[in-house]
Amino acid sequence: MTFSTSRAALAAAILALGAAVAAPPSSAQGFDPMRPGAGFNPMLPQSGQPRAAPEEPAIAGNPDLGGIPDDVGAEETFYLCSACHSMSLVTQQRLTDARWDYTWDWMVEEQGMPEMDDETKELVLSYLKRHFSAER
Amino acid sequence: MLDDASHNQDTDKPVARTEPGHETSGAEPGRRGFLKGASLATMGALLGTTIPFARNMPPGFVPVALAQDVGMGLMDAKDGLVVLGDRPVNAETPAHLLDDDVTPYERLFVRNNGLVPQHAMDMNAEGWTLTIDGEVDEPLTLTLADLQNDFETVTAPLWLECGGNGRAFFQPGASGNQWTTGAVGCPEWTGVRLKDVLERAGVKPTAVYTGHYGNDVHLSGDPDKVVISRGVPIEKALGPENLIAWAMNGEPIPAIHGFPLRLVVPGYPGSASQKYLTRIWVRDQEHDGEKMTGYSYRLPAYPVAPGTEVPESDMVVMLEMPVKSLVTFPATGAEVPAGRPAEVRGHAWSGKGDVAAMHVSLDFGQTWQEAELMAPPNPFAWQRWRAEVTPPEAGYYEVWARATDKDGTMQPPVVPGWNPRGYGNNMMHRIALFAV
Repeated sequence: MTFSTSRAALAAAILALGAAVAAPPSSAQGFDPMRPGAGFNPMLPQSGQPRAAPEEPAIAGNPDLGGIPDDVGAEETFYLCSACHSMSLVTQQRLTDARWDYTWDWMVEEQGMPEMDDETKELVLSYLKRHFSAER
Repeated sequence: MLDDASHNQDTDKPVARTEPGHETSGAEPGRRGFLKGASLATMGALLGTTIPFARNMPPGFVPVALAQDVGMGLMDAKDGLVVLGDRPVNAETPAHLLDDDVTPYERLFVRNNGLVPQHAMDMNAEGWTLTIDGEVDEPLTLTLADLQNDFETVTAPLWLECGGNGRAFFQPGASGNQWTTGAVGCPEWTGVRLKDVLERAGVKPTAVYTGHYGNDVHLSGDPDKVVISRGVPIEKALGPENLIAWAMNGEPIPAIHGFPLRLVVPGYPGSASQKYLTRIWVRDQEHDGEKMTGYSYRLPAYPVAPGTEVPESDMVVMLEMPVKSLVTFPATGAEVPAGRPAEVRGHAWSGKGDVAAMHVSLDFGQTWQEAELMAPPNPFAWQRWRAEVTPPEAGYYEVWARATDKDGTMQPPVVPGWNPRGYGNNMMHRIALFAV
């Protein structure tokens, strides 16, 4: 990009900003400061927040796997979790690693989830910690 | 696709927001598809057992424990709710759809810990009984007719709110359904006072707590597993506000809300209001049923920094819900004329009983004006509040709403006390207002 075109872009942006200030856009109808999305948002809700603006899906997931992203362990995660509950309960989460470990034990000890062998447990838990984390 | 009901105000069906490819009727197609193609070993693993007569199973057969109807079809009558999950069915209501003083069925949030039981799907109450036992002089087994004929019938609007309403705003995230603001509602319930029934059985001096049981179906399909069994201190149970209800808004309680009988224990987390109620066990100790222990519906006994791993032994049962309010009119993002008064209104409620005052701010909390606050029609009905705000010039504004309880405790502007499971978030509700 040359200097002159970037200056033109800047000028256009300033013009656009001026127009926006002069007349609040009616497209703002439905804007909610309690939720993230396009536009001015003074207090973004914290992580764990499932909603994004309709035009920008937060998770490019695999619909055949209940919407979780393709990656090592995705299929195993889908089969294990969806045996009992919908995958949306997984995709909503943003947990610390310690909470994922606790949640696994709670599902096994209290909720009737069959205990997996160590390899499967590691595969699924590390998948969950990679994709539905408060830490990364 | 991801979606948000505030962008779908014309929709007359629940909006799915989290599950690509999700359909709002029946079981998950993906899950069914998988099960039909699954090996016997896989299905056995999911069931947690082997299937001895597996060779007799026809091709494509799905074991009933895995095929239980989740009740998603019951959501068809809901209007504009945002579906958080379909197994179990959970859905919340956008704030601007909660403007009614008495929340209609179509707009009441849905919280299930398990699956809707078959009798409720069939709306069949034949043979239904409620047992009162434990620390009572005379255990009772009551039919619906007994309840309707032998006790005073009470009809009252009473609010229910999920303990995890507002969980979505905690950072780090807390596990569970990510409710924002819409897991609350105030339908009109008809039933008998819990107190009257307990006193008929005769509460012994040794009674400490109640333990509530229903017959909803565990997600694992295991018929021996209790989905949820919570309770309240006996002092709360003996309050005049709690009902054993069989009707909501003048109709039999809808299947998804607990047909044919449920508790309504306003002021406490909604989970204390057991659906599909079959038994109340009066305990001589704090109830230790499913989701009474561990981290469920519990808060740290002391304030902790966000993300702290709190030992289970330091978690205490959550009791009253905090003071809270919603702006239900106008919808967030509304346009109003600059320089002229605009009406804003909503509801306020508190687990301690009446709300004492309601204030709104139009300048990000710098100045506040007192709103008109109505007395509730009865204790534990939510209270209507109303104010007029005047945006001085064209531009972007936010309406912040703040309720104050009778002890002077106010809603905070930010998420209060982080806790591992994300309960009790009563931060102020805010809506956007564009003055033109």
